[in-house]
Order: sequence, then structure tokens, then C-alpha cells
Amino acid sequence: MRAFQTYERRRRSAGAAFVAPALAVLALILAYPILDSIWLALQRVTLKAGQVERTWVGAENFHRLFNDETALRAIFNTAYFSIAEVVLVVGIGLGVALLLNNAMGRSGFFRVVLVIPWAIAPVANAVLWKWILNANYGVLNGVLTSLGLIEHNQVWLGTPTMALNVLLLVDVWKSIPFVALLMLAGLQQVPKVLYRAAYMDGAGSFQTFVHITLPSIKTAIAIAVVLQTIWSLRVFDLIFVLTRGGPADATVLLNFLAYRVTFNFLDLGYGAAIANLVFAATFILAIIYIWLLKPRRRVAAS
Amino acid sequence: MSFAARRTGLATRLGVLLGLGVFLVWSLAPVVWLVLSSFLTQRALIAQPPDLAPASFTLQNFVAVMQSAASLGHGMLNSFIVASFSTALALALGAPAAYALARLSLPRANVISFMILATQMLPGIAIAIPLFIVITRLGLIDNVWTLGLVYLSFNLPIVIWILRGFFLGIPQGLERAAAVDGAGPVRTFRYIILPISIPPLAAAAVFAFIEAWNEFFFALILTRKSAETVPLVVAQFAGQYQTVFGQMMAAALISVAPVILLAIIFKDQIVRGFADGMMKG
Repeated sequence: MRAFQTYERRRRSAGAAFVAPALAVLALILAYPILDSIWLALQRVTLKAGQVERTWVGAENFHRLFNDETALRAIFNTAYFSIAEVVLVVGIGLGVALLLNNAMGRSGFFRVVLVIPWAIAPVANAVLWKWILNANYGVLNGVLTSLGLIEHNQVWLGTPTMALNVLLLVDVWKSIPFVALLMLAGLQQVPKVLYRAAYMDGAGSFQTFVHITLPSIKTAIAIAVVLQTIWSLRVFDLIFVLTRGGPADATVLLNFLAYRVTFNFLDLGYGAAIANLVFAATFILAIIYIWLLKPRRRVAAS
Repeated sequence: MSFAARRTGLATRLGVLLGLGVFLVWSLAPVVWLVLSSFLTQRALIAQPPDLAPASFTLQNFVAVMQSAASLGHGMLNSFIVASFSTALALALGAPAAYALARLSLPRANVISFMILATQMLPGIAIAIPLFIVITRLGLIDNVWTLGLVYLSFNLPIVIWILRGFFLGIPQGLERAAAVDGAGPVRTFRYIILPISIPPLAAAAVFAFIEAWNEFFFALILTRKSAETVPLVVAQFAGQYQTVFGQMMAAALISVAPVILLAIIFKDQIVRGFADGMMKG
């Protein structure tokens, strides 16, 4: 017994030494900036001759945020973008996962097809779509015209509503593969015996899907919803390359606005306030995600 | 014949086939167009419909891109340094930390692990402003090593999370046997655990490398000319030469080719290591 206690104690002190360097680094590059970011949002920050001057202003930046038309529009756009993206990506991702879980879709080739759009850098993806969406020579106009779906070339990024929806489409294209992989991981954990039982009871494919598949993967779906929401809140590269927020600020999402206010307008305090809003939303979602992971661990333990 | 195949009728199987076909076209068409465009002459690209005759294919776009934007090579080199440095550090710091959190009975190990997971999801902007201020003050802006360190903010958490999942599954007997033979935790980790962890270490490394190679936001605010990474070069190129479509695509293709190859080679490890890892606590 003494020997075991010594063993445990030695492991624990070694453990502390193992984990300390990583935690120190994370404290320096994550914890400190997060805390300072919250602190910055309560200040007016000016750059004078390369020196940062910080004056305490309390909630002024947040007050300004909720009276700033551009910011309110960005909040609205972000909400629309995130909700639409989650619905589309999770819906289509689930469909793709079901196809790939089918006997005919199990080939490794399809997994290659899934990892390619995921591995393409968001910037390269944006540049590719810049060409596809080109108003004069873009292949999208060409294909849609020859299919008879549009009569003349569209300026896809030219009008506010269209631009936002086209950005949405491009990001959906890029995001589906990974969510499909998440769903596939969930589908593969559904016990085969359930399907066999449903088959014995004479359930059709649709009934099996509704009564066996969906309930078994509802946690997986919830996780995909939360993660995709988090990921859609950080869309940046696409906006930067394709629209820079235009036309008429229609594609300014909160993340991009925080960047623009901070690094183009050099209004660091106000930029931090907007960044805090994105941070708060992400943080709440991350807690929900972790909470979703937990019940599965209890089931596994019992 | 498998159970699933027996059960499904012809109509269902045709439906699945059609679905898979649509999925293939939807996922691959843009990528195929990227590759094709980069090999076509400007004349062929702006023809309606695009002229795909053999005579239209050329390597000129790649030659022009490597010559006109000498910064593409420079950017590739910077990206390689930043991604390798960040990945190596993330593994060196993350592997022992993940092992400790998974196995070494640390108090509150789960709470710490979940906090680390949560930080991985933060948008860059949440930490960018203070980092920018500090790094500017220290005069460390436009420096590949600084950027590699900053990339630890997302790479270290994800490496810890992937490896922790693997370490949790190692049977206890292995460590007990090592302890009976007189090995302390450090030697057990070095000589027993690490050698059997090569596949998850590779998965974590590939994942971290791809994320760092593709990162744009921090590179945009923390680098200028000398440390600019390849996504920055490609974004600038697409701004300046946006009417030279073939060259734009050639630049994009060159920039993504290394990581796409990595992703294809390690697809199974990526799927197991990350997609599965995100689904369990």
C-alpha cells in the first residue's frame, strides 16, 4: 500500500512538471490577451508616435456599440449568416454522412473527397471563388446560362443581399466536409443491433431513420450545430479576399468589423469591445459544447 | 452480401448512387476548375465557353507566377518555417501535458482539459489586439518565430486534445509493468508511451501543420514584408492580378498543394484523430 502511494505521489509530481510548460505558454498567449482584451474594451486607446495611450472610459465603448448603425447591422448580418450556415451545413452534412455510411459510400476515395475542401486554405478557397464568381468570365455564370437558369450574367458580389448569400454559399461549400466527418463518426457509433431489430420489426428506411438513426445521433447533431456556429462566427479570410465588407457594408460580420475598427481605423478600445462580443458568444457556445460532451462520458463510465 | 445491401431495394440503391454522384460533383467541381484554370491560357479562359482544346494548355502561368511574384517562393519558405516551428513546439509542449492530463492523476485534470479545449475555439480577434500591442512594443513584429509562437494559441490546445484522447485509452497495465521494473513516470513516458504513440503524434502534427500553413488572420496583422506567409502573398496577388485568371489560380494551387498532399496521405489519421476526437470528451 505504501509503495502504491509513493507511486501515485511520484506520478502526480511528475504530472505537474509535465503540464506546467504548456500551461505557462497558454497563460502567456491566451489567458493574458483575453483578460487584457476585456480591460482594453473599457478604455479609450490612442496611438501617439508609436506609443499606446490608454484612458479609462468605463462602458462608453459598449454604449457606442449598441448605438452604432454599422455595428448593429453587423450583429444582424452575423446572426443571419451563422443561423443560415448552421442549418445548411448540418443538414447537408448529415445527408452526406448518411450516403457515406451506406455500403456503397464506404470507399476511402470519398474520404479523400472530404478532406480536400477542408485542407484548402480559406484564402486560396476565396481566391478560387473570386474567379468562379467573376461577373464577365466566371464559370458560374457560364454554367448557369448554358443550363438556362439565368438569362444574363449576374454580378454575384455586386448587390448587398446577393453578396452576403454568395459568401454564405462559398463558406457552406468549405464547411460541409468536416461536419460530414463529425456526423459520420456519430453514425458509426450507432449499434448495428438496433438496425437489425428495426428490420425484424418490419420498419422501412424512413421509419428506421426517424426512430433509430436520429435519436442515436442527436448528441452528434447537437455537437455539430454548436461547433459550426463557433466556426461561422470566425469567418474572416473569405470576406477579406472577396468583398472587404462591401457592397455598402452588407458583408461586414462582427469578426471583420472588429478587425477593421482596430487595424484600419486604429480605434483599439472600440475594436476590443466588438471583439469581446464575439468572444462572449463563442465562450457561451464552447461551454454548451463541453456540457454536451459530458453525458456521453457518464454513459460510458456506467 | 452484407446486411445493409440485402435490405435495400433497387430504388434506394439508385438514390444513394445519385446522391453520391451529386456529392462528388459538388465537392470536386470547384477544385477541378482550380487545377484546370491554372494550366489554361488567358485566351482559353475568357472564351465562352472556356476553350479546353489540347492547344490551350500551358505551363506558362506557373512560370509567370514564380517569376513575377518572387514573393511566392519567399512566402512558401516563411510558411514552412512558421508551420514547422509551431508544430514542433506544440508537440514538444503538448505531448507531456496531454499525458499528464490523461494519466498522471493531476487534481482537476478534466477541468483543465476542458478549459484548454474551450480556448481552442476562440476567434483570433479575441486575443489579437493585446498581442499586437505587446509584440509591437517588443519590436517583434514581422518575425517568423513570433508568428510561430502565436500559432501555439490554437495549435497547442488541439495537439493536447488529440493526444489526450489517445493516452486515455492506453491500458493501465503497461504503466504498472514499467513501474514494477523500476521506471519512473519520466522514463515510462519516454520509453514506453512515446514509442506506441507515433500514429496519434503524426496525426496531431499533420493537423497542426495544416492549420498553421493556412492561417491568415494573425499573419495579416503581425507580419509585413519579410515574414509574410503564403496565404498573404496569394491574397495580395489575387488583388493585384485579378484579371490574369490563370496566374491567380496557379498561385492558389501552388500555395495549397503541399497541405492537400499531406491531407490526402494522412486522411485516415485526420479523420480518426480529429473528427472522432471532437465527438468524445
